[in-house]
Amino acid sequence: MGFSRHEDKRLITGGGKFSADWNLPGQLHAYMVRSLHAHAKVLSVDTTAALAMEGVVAVLTAADVTAARMTTMPSGPDLKGIDDVGINKGPMPILAIDRVRFVGQPIAMVIGESANLARDASEQVHVTYEELPVAASVASALAEDAPQLHPNVPGNVSLQFESGDAAATAAAFASAAKTTSLTIKSQRLYGAPLEPRALVVDHDRARGVTVVRTPTQGMLGMRASLAALTGLGVDDLEIVAQDVGGSFGLRGGPAPEHALLVLAARRFGKPIKWVSNRSELFTAELHGRALTLKGEIALDAENRITAIRFEDTVDLGAYNCYFGGFIGTNNLAVTMGGAYRVPALYMTSNLVLTNQSPVSAYRGAGRPDIAFAIERLVEHAASEFDFDPVEFRKLNFVPADAFPYTTANGTVYDCGDFHTVLDKALTLADYKNFSIRRKQSEANGKLRGIGIGYYVEKSGAGGAPKDEVSCRFNADGTLTLFAVSGPSGQGHETAYAQIVGEGLGIKPSLINYVAGDPGRALVGNGTGGSRSLYGTGSAFKNLVQEIIKKAQPLAAQALHVEPGDVVFAGGRFLGRNGAKGIDLMELAERQAQLHDAAEDHPINCSAETVTGANFPNGCHIAEVEIDRDTGDTEVVKYSAVDELGNVLSPVLVRGQVHGGVVQGIGQALLEEMIYDDTGQLLSGSFMDYAMPRAGALINVQSDTHSVPTELNELGSKGVGESGCSGSLPCVSNAMMSALRSGGFGPMDMPYSPHRVWQHLQK
Amino acid sequence: MGKVTFTVNGSVSTIDVEPRTLLADALRDELGLTGTHIGCDTSQCGCCTVRMNGSAVKSCTLLAVQAEGSQIDTIEGLSAAQTSGNAAAQVPDNSDAQAKRLHPVQQAFSTCHALQCGFCTPGMIMAAVELLDQNPDPGDAEIREGLSGNLCRCTGYVNIENAVKEAAAMMRSERVAAGTPAGGTAIDRELPSRGSR
Repeated sequence: MGFSRHEDKRLITGGGKFSADWNLPGQLHAYMVRSLHAHAKVLSVDTTAALAMEGVVAVLTAADVTAARMTTMPSGPDLKGIDDVGINKGPMPILAIDRVRFVGQPIAMVIGESANLARDASEQVHVTYEELPVAASVASALAEDAPQLHPNVPGNVSLQFESGDAAATAAAFASAAKTTSLTIKSQRLYGAPLEPRALVVDHDRARGVTVVRTPTQGMLGMRASLAALTGLGVDDLEIVAQDVGGSFGLRGGPAPEHALLVLAARRFGKPIKWVSNRSELFTAELHGRALTLKGEIALDAENRITAIRFEDTVDLGAYNCYFGGFIGTNNLAVTMGGAYRVPALYMTSNLVLTNQSPVSAYRGAGRPDIAFAIERLVEHAASEFDFDPVEFRKLNFVPADAFPYTTANGTVYDCGDFHTVLDKALTLADYKNFSIRRKQSEANGKLRGIGIGYYVEKSGAGGAPKDEVSCRFNADGTLTLFAVSGPSGQGHETAYAQIVGEGLGIKPSLINYVAGDPGRALVGNGTGGSRSLYGTGSAFKNLVQEIIKKAQPLAAQALHVEPGDVVFAGGRFLGRNGAKGIDLMELAERQAQLHDAAEDHPINCSAETVTGANFPNGCHIAEVEIDRDTGDTEVVKYSAVDELGNVLSPVLVRGQVHGGVVQGIGQALLEEMIYDDTGQLLSGSFMDYAMPRAGALINVQSDTHSVPTELNELGSKGVGESGCSGSLPCVSNAMMSALRSGGFGPMDMPYSPHRVWQHLQK
Repeated sequence: MGKVTFTVNGSVSTIDVEPRTLLADALRDELGLTGTHIGCDTSQCGCCTVRMNGSAVKSCTLLAVQAEGSQIDTIEGLSAAQTSGNAAAQVPDNSDAQAKRLHPVQQAFSTCHALQCGFCTPGMIMAAVELLDQNPDPGDAEIREGLSGNLCRCTGYVNIENAVKEAAAMMRSERVAAGTPAGGTAIDRELPSRGSR
């Protein structure tokens, strides 16, 4: 009892304000016309009948986008591949011009006086298609007679990437005592934040600013991308997001609808609202994962790992969008040795375009996938050569005294203690008594397995040069904090208030947090890559010192002593002799009375930090039971020890771990975006795409171990994505362990009842 | 256009709706009760769960006209409806000085950290209130069954299950203190439709 987040009150009483909750007087409504085909020429878009309907204001097509000189959707970084060959990109147009390349691709936007009217009118927009052959999978996109998706991407291969030392790795394999290999698939997923994408946009003529209310992970990223997309200046746009119903990597930047609503609001001089429906989002939102990794491992005579090699295939979907290219390259390469001391590492990655929805970041964005691949490979080797999986890991771990450790492909792990974390997890999981539990399960006709996953991930380095924060002391005795990191459930308002409140010795309830106030002109990173606490949070820790520094002379004045004779402790400035003192907030209130505007308060100040990535890691251990008759698989016991550096709020951290673990369990057991050979999506609703429900994670124990990092002021590491990185490998290894115990071979995710039952019949 | 008259959070309202208007849209767009969220269009996510004549329904699965003459309770009415009880707590201290008391389920969702982004939360809370009305002391399996019509993408459900247990305990001790039996609300339980669960 006693725990309560700052953001909770409004959210538990129905007082939250999500984007679709906005309504503006006289607003128009939009509805999208989307492609019905996976690959087709668009011969014509006939809007006549729609425009003839009363109350229809406009139908925007590619011609409007072109006339407005808007560009194409962000296509991601210009990566270099093997032999320094640059990436060939197929950028996505805002609205399809003469060709569509995936089901659900936007073709037109209908604008009407009501949402129902716009929807009705969308059915009167007649698109004439000429269907083209479809590359509905990586295999068909790479086939000799594959249709060419983009003229400048020969063979549908966008990039052939490599990392590490090919020759050294080949030599290690040539001289290895033992080698083995394994191909794993991290299937295509839909991130499915529960708040559907929504927009309410109006153009404020008086200020000359277009105001965009939309779910986002970071105001600056959204604004900069939207400005680039629309050709407007960043000062012409304002992003508003009070409550964001989940993001998980899907909401870093604008979608086509953002650009279209900005265009419409400015052109028609009226506010305009668009709220997507879930069915369209299943194809219209960017998908995640969609990776295949073939791993090979080489061991010497003492069973030490001498090399790991990966050959990866990345399904980018129909266009290069956002981080799509980054996931299957840098994000896989950077920790490709996992927690192990591996002298030689090499990977290649083939980035392929297919007639499916484009792929970009989803919780972890490659990190869970590479953790999954390494830990499956290590477990596979242990199983193949009959090693104890615990001892095999310990033999090969980067030892605690080897930090900072530079991997064979150049990543520097700053700190860690993998042995201790593993031991702690084994104890938490009661690992030694697993055989007793397995016997009990077997007595009930069930296969039981246990699996370990030790992940090491590189949290987000951040795209902004620094994280800036500032504050304002208000006349009512409260303190408002400002930064740009936009929350979507993580608890920013609570965590930042805790940091500043503890630092200043004042009640966190007197402190509130505002993300992305346009008047502040702050620089910083959005929420992503698990970095909001250690980035923006560290800046808030620095802000505490700035506040004390600015308040100290004022306190000295109030106490009638020299500034050097004042010390700050427990929220109070004390004179050296200790006889007199003044509370910071009392001082702040007194100062507020001397100034008309809160903006002029003399203790207002700002602070910043510059910090890049760090290396959260941890050991998750899962036990699964498979019902042999039905294939139904359940995670029956789950233990997680995460090494996150300093933990500020164990409750918030546990919440992140639970959520991440269940998203990983969702991928392991349930979720899959399935396309048929014609590129039609078969799993296009929550009735077809199985989401985890209550009971997905039972019997869970979550603990932490702290090896503080020196890479940021808080000593903390990222936590947002670690749950997925831990759960994918451990649940999969548990599954393989259960299957092995019944004499069955390995299988790919998802371990859904249907697929498992079929596997058991083999 | 047709008219619908119903009682929402204790107040009688008459609104104009199209025959096809969903109850969820009517509550949000006509009455401004935007605490009821819409997260899907296949009646799977449960974000739109409200109570109709005392039973939880998915308001995206009902036409507004089907609610004619009914009593609808939404998340906005839940705390206002709490006027007494030991376990019902004051709104946390960043409140705008309203004397509204939180329902024990609302309180428990906060103290158990059973919400993150908060989008599923109103529906989840309304489903939990219904569950505890039917079963004041549910076991793990009953809680999971009771919440099986609601999706959450953030929390992993563990803390939501804990919150339901916590709320159940609070409500039981409240009833003991007040000397009233469980489940005894005065609301008529007859239903035109339950929605899908």
